[in-house]
Amino acid sequence: MFELILLLVPVIGGILIYLSKKNLTAIRTILLLTALMHNAACVLLILYPEWNIPVFSQYIGTDEMALFVLGIMSFLFLCAAGQAFFWLPVEHKHDPHHMPMNVFCSVLCAFVFTMSLVAVARNFGLLWVAVEATTLASAPLINFHRSAGSTEAMWKYLLICSVGIGLALFGTFLLGMSAKTPEGVAAGLNFSAFGKEVMINPDYFKAAFIFCFAGYGLKMGLAPFHTWLPDAHSEAPSMVSVMLSGTLLNCSFLGLVRVYSVAPEALQMFCKEYFLIFGVLSLAVAAFFIIRQSDYKRMLAYSSVEHMGLLAIMWGLSMQEVTLLHMIFHSMCKMLLFLVAGNILVAYGTRKVELVHGMFGRLKKNSTLWVIGIILICGMPPSPLFLTEFVLIQKAGFILGGVILLFLFMVFCGMTCNALRMTMGEDIPGPVREQDTDAERLALIPFFVIVLIIVSGVTMILKNGYLI
Amino acid sequence: MEHLIDFILALFLITNLMMAASSRLMHCIKIVVLQGILLGLLPLFLGHIEASHLIAALLNISIKGIALPYLLVAAIKRADVCRELEPLVGYSTSLIIVLLFFAVSFWLGTKLPAEEPHLRLATPTAVATMLTGLFIVMARRKAITQAIGFLTFENGISLFGTGRMLDFGVAIELGILLDVLVLVFVMGIAVMRIKREFQHIDSDKLHFLGDNQKEAE
Repeated sequence: MFELILLLVPVIGGILIYLSKKNLTAIRTILLLTALMHNAACVLLILYPEWNIPVFSQYIGTDEMALFVLGIMSFLFLCAAGQAFFWLPVEHKHDPHHMPMNVFCSVLCAFVFTMSLVAVARNFGLLWVAVEATTLASAPLINFHRSAGSTEAMWKYLLICSVGIGLALFGTFLLGMSAKTPEGVAAGLNFSAFGKEVMINPDYFKAAFIFCFAGYGLKMGLAPFHTWLPDAHSEAPSMVSVMLSGTLLNCSFLGLVRVYSVAPEALQMFCKEYFLIFGVLSLAVAAFFIIRQSDYKRMLAYSSVEHMGLLAIMWGLSMQEVTLLHMIFHSMCKMLLFLVAGNILVAYGTRKVELVHGMFGRLKKNSTLWVIGIILICGMPPSPLFLTEFVLIQKAGFILGGVILLFLFMVFCGMTCNALRMTMGEDIPGPVREQDTDAERLALIPFFVIVLIIVSGVTMILKNGYLI
Repeated sequence: MEHLIDFILALFLITNLMMAASSRLMHCIKIVVLQGILLGLLPLFLGHIEASHLIAALLNISIKGIALPYLLVAAIKRADVCRELEPLVGYSTSLIIVLLFFAVSFWLGTKLPAEEPHLRLATPTAVATMLTGLFIVMARRKAITQAIGFLTFENGISLFGTGRMLDFGVAIELGILLDVLVLVFVMGIAVMRIKREFQHIDSDKLHFLGDNQKEAE
C-alpha cells in the first residue's frame, strides 16, 4: 500500500506542476509538497511496516536493501526540492533561456517516480523496465540550460545508457532461462521464484550475470563503462546532479545486487570477483582523472566513479553493512558538494577551476562549506566515510588495502588541491555583485546537510566498536 | 507451422543485410518497422495460441509498426536529412561485416545445448540481429541512424525473448514496449536539439566535452 503511495505521489505532483504553467511560486511549492509527501510515505514504510497492506505483491514490495535506497532517495529529493525552492527564481533571473520550469520540475518528478519503481520492484523484468525508464526521465533534465555542451551530454547519455541497459535486458532473459523449478518448468522472473528449491543452470547464470553486470554496471558508472557519467553529471544543473549522483547510481547498484542475490552458492565467488576487479579499476580511473582535473563539477563526477568503485569492492568482500553505510554517507556528502558547486556556478558562471579564485573573500559561507565538504568526501576523520573506508582497508588485506589506500591518497591530493586553489588567493577585483549575494543565500540547505553529516560521523566514531 | 517460423527468421536475417546496405533513412525506418511487425507475428506461429499471445502480438505490432515509424519520420523531417552520406564504415564493408556476424552467431548456435527443433534458428538469428544493431550504432554518423541501430539491437533482444517464450506476463511486455516508445520519443527531441545547437546531426562531430579541453583545442 505504502509502496503504491510512494509511486503515485510523484506522478500526481508531476501532473499538477505541469498544469501550473508559468506560475513559478505554484511550481516550487508543489515540488516541495511532493517531496514532503514522498518522505512521509517513506518514513511510514520504514517505521511501521506492520501497517503496510501488500498490493500487487508479485510486482512491488520492499526489503531491507530497498528501504535503504528509498530512504536515501527520499531524503535527497526533499533537500533538492528545498534547494530548488530558492534556486529556481535565482536561475530564472540570471539565465532566462532555460527549459520551461513546469516541464523541468514535472520531469524531475517523473524521474523520482522511476527511481522509486527501481527500489520497490520485485520482478527482474520490472526492474529492467524501471532502470531504463530512469535513463529516459533524466535525459531531458540534463538539457536544462539548452547549451551545446548539455545537448551533447544528453545525446551521449541516452545512447550509451540505452545500449548498455539493452545488454542487461539480454541478461535478464538469460536469467529467466537459467532458472527451472524442480518439475522442469521455467521459474519466471519474480524474486520470490528464486527460492531454495529452484534449479539454476550455472552456465546460463554466468552468462546472465555478465550481461547484467555490464548493463547495470554501466548505469552505475563503473569503469571502463563510465564515460557518459562525467559529461552528464557536469552539464546537468546542480539539483539534477544531486539526484543523478546521489540516488540514480545507488539504484543501479541495487539492480546489480538483486542479480547477485539470486546467485547459487557455488557461483557467488565468481560474481564477487567481478565486483572486485571492476571496483578497483573504477577507483584507479577516477584517481588518475581527478588528479589532473580542471573542471570542478567533473571532479565531483569522477569522485562518484571512485565511490561506486569502493561500493563494488566492499560488496565483493561481502561487507554488506559497511556498503550500506558508505552508500548513505556518500550520497549525503555528494549532495552537499553538488549543491555548493551549483552556488559557485551561480556566482562565477564558470566550471573552470582556474577562473575561480579567492572565494573566501567573496563567498564566505559557500567556501567554508566547500572546503569542509571536500574534506568529508575524502574520508577525513569527522566524516562517516572515514570509518567505512578504514574498515574496508582493514578487511582488504595487505596488497589490496595498499592499492586502495594509494588511490584514495591520489584522490585526496587532487580534490583538496583544486578546492584550495579555488578558495585561496587573490579575489577577483570589484564590489560584491548581485549573484554573489544570491549564492550566499543558497547556502542554507547545504549547511543543514553538513551539520547532519558531521553529527552522525562524530557519533559513529565515538561509539566505535560498532564496526571496528 | 515450423516452416513459417523458419521463414520469418530468414526474413529477419535478410532485413539485417538490407539495413547494413541502405543509405536512405526512410528505407532504414521501413526495414526496422518490418522487423517489428515480424517480431509481433512470431508468437502466433508457435503452435498453441493463447489470449496473452494475441495481446502481445497486437501491442508489438501497434507500437513497433505504427507509433515508432511515426516518431522517427517526424524526427527526420525536423532534422531535415534524408541520407547517410559518408558512413564511418562503407556500405560494402558493412555487408561483409554483417555476414561475418551471421557466421559467428550460427557457429555459436551449434555450441548451445540442443532445444526444440522449431526454435533452432531463433537464437542465432537473435544474436546476429543484436550484433548488426550494435554495429550500425558504431558505424554510422547521423544521430538518427544510431537511433535506428539501437532499435535493431532491441529487436534482436526481443526476438531472443519471444523465441524462448519466456513468460513474464503482459504487464512486463507492455513496460518494455513503452520504454522503447518513450526512448524513441526522447531521442527525437534530442535530435531536434542537436540540430538546433549544431546545425547538423553528425554525432562524430560532437566533441565539445572531454577531460583535456586545452589539448583538444
